[in-house]
Amino acid sequence: MKHLIIGNGIAGINAARAIREMDTTAAIFMVSDETFPPYSRPMISYVLEGSEPHAKLPLFAGNVYEDLNITPVLGHRVAHLDVQKKSIHLENGTEIDCQKLLIASGADARRIRVQGADLGNIFTMRTQQDVLDHLAAISQGVKNALVLGGGLVGFRAAHALLKRGITVTMLITSAYPLAMQVDETAGRMILRELQSHGLSVKIGVSVASFDGDNQVKAARLNSGETLGCDLVIVGKGVDPSLGFIAENAIEMDYGILVDPYLCSSVPDIYAAGDAAESMDIARQTRWINAIWPEAAIQGRIAGCNMAGRKVVYPGSLGRNVMRIYDLDVMTMGLANPEKTDDLEIIQAGDEKAGAYRRLVFRGDILVGAVLINRIEQGGMLRAMIENRVPVRIPKKYLMSLDFNYSRLL
Amino acid sequence: MKQVIVNPEKCVGCMQCMLACAAAHAKAESLFAAVEETPRPQPRVHVGAGLFNQGFPNRCRHCDPAPCQLACLTGAIFRDAATNTVLINPDRCINCASCAMACPYGVLRFHEEAAAPPGKTVAVKCDNCDARTARGNIPACAEVCKTGALVYDEMAHAMNEKTRQVARTISSDTTAQGVPDTVALYNTLKQATVKAGKAIRR
Repeated sequence: MKHLIIGNGIAGINAARAIREMDTTAAIFMVSDETFPPYSRPMISYVLEGSEPHAKLPLFAGNVYEDLNITPVLGHRVAHLDVQKKSIHLENGTEIDCQKLLIASGADARRIRVQGADLGNIFTMRTQQDVLDHLAAISQGVKNALVLGGGLVGFRAAHALLKRGITVTMLITSAYPLAMQVDETAGRMILRELQSHGLSVKIGVSVASFDGDNQVKAARLNSGETLGCDLVIVGKGVDPSLGFIAENAIEMDYGILVDPYLCSSVPDIYAAGDAAESMDIARQTRWINAIWPEAAIQGRIAGCNMAGRKVVYPGSLGRNVMRIYDLDVMTMGLANPEKTDDLEIIQAGDEKAGAYRRLVFRGDILVGAVLINRIEQGGMLRAMIENRVPVRIPKKYLMSLDFNYSRLL
Repeated sequence: MKQVIVNPEKCVGCMQCMLACAAAHAKAESLFAAVEETPRPQPRVHVGAGLFNQGFPNRCRHCDPAPCQLACLTGAIFRDAATNTVLINPDRCINCASCAMACPYGVLRFHEEAAAPPGKTVAVKCDNCDARTARGNIPACAEVCKTGALVYDEMAHAMNEKTRQVARTISSDTTAQGVPDTVALYNTLKQATVKAGKAIRR
């Protein structure tokens, strides 16, 4: 059996590990444009803030390709996928065929398309190389940074730069950062925490153009204002990296549509990670939850299925946990849905209380939660959302800061 | 291989397991010296109060596969093949709390710790007292438990005991049902107190 895996992120690597566990002789080819050893992508923001060294990024000691007998094809992007022949063409013309294919190509950071966007010191934050580039720029002396976007990447970039003592201005479209992840009360607590550590935030403005000679010196905003800046990090989201697949070759929406076995509409072609679109457990609809732990489990399950052991993927759940100075924030599922009749939302606490909790129920099923501080029991709520456990005890008990496993028994 | 087995119905919530656990993970491994240590030793077993204030010693299950291990961003969480214990390498841990989000039982805590680099907050949970068992001692929580809520036993033996206990519940002889009379009475009183309290408030 010859397996081909596009992507050496956590989905691709976990698929290869699962295949190798079950089949010691199968050929496994792995293609990636990243040449650095497989690493922990969520950790790059820790490297940017300086709390962890770059050397700690690799996930494995030694050479994982040798240890798992994988044939790596690194430093190349896939140019074209021939669905009928199940073969890929690299940009240099090389063709690799296979019997089972996994598309774990991940996603690419969206770039900003305004005048001056190609100036130096304007970056995205997606790969370990991106962070090395940030650090190289910072070592040349950076005083004022501009972060575009208040999503997860924008937030993490701003948080990391603040920790390095750099003045950071964040441009966001919503009233508070992480608007996709948390509700307004929690968002404003996060905003105030960041502001108290020096972040300035501008709401409802965007960059019209960048000025500078070789390197960025200033950003002109659509409001007419000009902001001096010597480093820009663009956190405007990601798009699945699927440019190598011809239209209508595989059923796609935003990502590749997969069945419960993570197989695409084409037999023997699987997809996992940020490029795969599967069921969202909380929403009960198709969705891409482009987060690391989902990529990790999807990779493992896709690998099992490719190796012939049928394993069902139960669906994905958006979730995040982050520490923001003195705030610990955990968010999962439908944390901030539009209010509809079938949803019941309970919330309590605020800054003064030192903790905040918000739970979203559909009937007696928990579908979303936001926790600020006292997050240790959050995993239980996550398990209740994922397993769709009907809540048989009074719902207010789940709000208690002392809530613990025995209350469910 | 023996392991700590939890019989929650026997727990009276005395929290001696927490004290013994914290002391066992102190540098000095003694309670009297432990209270003077910095960082102050913390327990890895957590006695929670149930709906009727009944005790529940919540301890890491060392799940296989372990959700915390799958979620760990740095590979700090691993399974020791010899003891089947899920352990955390404090040098690799980055205190991201991804494990807390993954753990369905809520057993992880984050604080400074004798075994971690000084000044570093890390994820901490039960290590099955591997250091104690290697010396021939049994885990501290089971050693100190007076009611049999935490026992150190072979799983097969404990399962047989439990099966027999369940079988005995059809007997009219309540003393044969496994929970000591005093513990049963104590838990009944607690339950009655909570229910009475509710009735009064109403």
